[in-house]
Amino acid sequence: MKIVVCLKQVPETNDVTIDPVTHNLDRRGLAGVMNPFDKNAIELALHLKDTADDDVQVALLTMGPDDYAESLREGMAMGADAGYLLSDRAFAGADTLATGYVIAQALKKIGDADLILFGRQAVDADTGQVGPIVAEFLHQPQITYAASLRLSGKNEVTAERLLEDTKQTLVAQLPAVVSVRSELNTPRYPTPRNIQLSFDKPLTVWHHDDLDLDDTRLGQAGSPTIVTKVYAPEPVKRELTPLTGTPSEAASQLIKALKGRQLI
Amino acid sequence: MSKPELWVIAERRLDHIEPTTQQLITKAKGLAGDHFKTVVILLEATNDHLEDELKAYGPDEIRVVRDDRFPTATDAEHADALEQLVTKYQPNSILFGATITGRSIAPRLQAKLRTGLTADCLDLRFDDDTLVATKPSYGDNIMCEIICPDHRPQMATVRPNTFVANTAEGAATVTTDTITFHPVDRLQVKAATPVVNTATTVGDASRVVALGRGAASAATIDTATQLAEKFGGRIGVSRPLTDQERFNHDDQIGQSGNTIHPELILTFGVSGAVQFLVGMQDSQTIVAVNSDKDAPIFDVADYGYVGDAQAFMSALLAQFV
Repeated sequence: MKIVVCLKQVPETNDVTIDPVTHNLDRRGLAGVMNPFDKNAIELALHLKDTADDDVQVALLTMGPDDYAESLREGMAMGADAGYLLSDRAFAGADTLATGYVIAQALKKIGDADLILFGRQAVDADTGQVGPIVAEFLHQPQITYAASLRLSGKNEVTAERLLEDTKQTLVAQLPAVVSVRSELNTPRYPTPRNIQLSFDKPLTVWHHDDLDLDDTRLGQAGSPTIVTKVYAPEPVKRELTPLTGTPSEAASQLIKALKGRQLI
Repeated sequence: MSKPELWVIAERRLDHIEPTTQQLITKAKGLAGDHFKTVVILLEATNDHLEDELKAYGPDEIRVVRDDRFPTATDAEHADALEQLVTKYQPNSILFGATITGRSIAPRLQAKLRTGLTADCLDLRFDDDTLVATKPSYGDNIMCEIICPDHRPQMATVRPNTFVANTAEGAATVTTDTITFHPVDRLQVKAATPVVNTATTVGDASRVVALGRGAASAATIDTATQLAEKFGGRIGVSRPLTDQERFNHDDQIGQSGNTIHPELILTFGVSGAVQFLVGMQDSQTIVAVNSDKDAPIFDVADYGYVGDAQAFMSALLAQFV
């Protein structure tokens, strides 16, 4: 069985600021880390590897600059078997559609993945769109926001999916694309032994010419959406009426005020 | 020439309409003016009449497609049905609720149509025919305005409770349409059970007692729970408290949690991170209690008390009749 986990590298903190002059995001000095939600997808893959009767191979796939290899190395130190990095200037500036296209083409080249896993969303852009886009491009069924997943037969998985008000049980014949909730599991840490082993695992870098690509669907040119403005939200200030004195006095002032507003 | 269509995709929540649908209808009507025709797309079973929960909000048209497989249809099957309707009517824009269902179906449809989709929007406007969608990023610390200039339809998912649903004058025309249902046999919904405890989120409450890092002890939470009951409200929390076992995403105000606008919110021990403030600043009456007089929460509050959260809460509870 072959599982491919798709992941993204994100800034280590969400405390980004806007450059007052250029109005661009100031990401200087922000180190990249693996998107935390993607670790849940890796953990699921490794759990299946640990528990399945058959041999399970777990590969990791990401698209981004060369330093994204660090996240692949980290995933391999957790226990994944191989990593694929899609790195090319032609891929830069891609929105979810153009990203999903390149990922899908790479998955075709990797070939024969039974299960393609995603984290629920990336913590920087928060879209969660690339998983369903890849599923559509590969004509595979999708299970998003899976709360549990197990192998339930030859080429079959059973998953639970939590909607706002409903728990669904879904059965999929593989291959399928699944995105997982973070509540699904607790990702393991790399052990010293696995870190050691990871250096001997294959990390493949594919550039533009290594994939079968339609250039009109790549990068910025292949992205239907454009970011026209980036800004920090400013809360709207209100005129504050202070409540004063002891807690008891202040509480009594509040009750009077709320009665005045017909709230109690 | 007929007006371009602005679509709202109706979503089911058990046997009813998911409230975000009604919120989106009101917003769509406001956006449409005289320029667009607001159309609600409703996929339901043959004996359903969920359109009855939509008419009062006054869209120009409710376009119903009935098939008994819709209530348990998978994302791909929904997206396939919607693609057929898009091909037929060529709408200018399509709005989904940014619910789990909406956020799963919309990108699948986006890929079929090879167009742009902006996720989890907090505001929408039109510049002529171009939809300008405001999307939070980096945990709501940054807002981006995103457009899709050259592809149609333009698509967006909109965070629940971002807009308020209002009933409107004027009778909606209800029409029926048909599509060819293409079943995907490789994926089956075997069971669907209602989950009671996630049926309400803090976004549904009209009164909220919000707790932050400064009101995180078990005793304080117990007092706050009593207070919430007295006020007929619900507990909500800022992000740090979601680390506690008793709180989860449904309780979270702000960052990729719940944008709320209750008639009354009492915040205790919340300092007021930007993403929290932006997520609750449209509340009608805001009360803040915090021991730090410089806490940003006081900037957006109507009433403020600098002091101990637990002491104030107990005093309020004691005096509340």
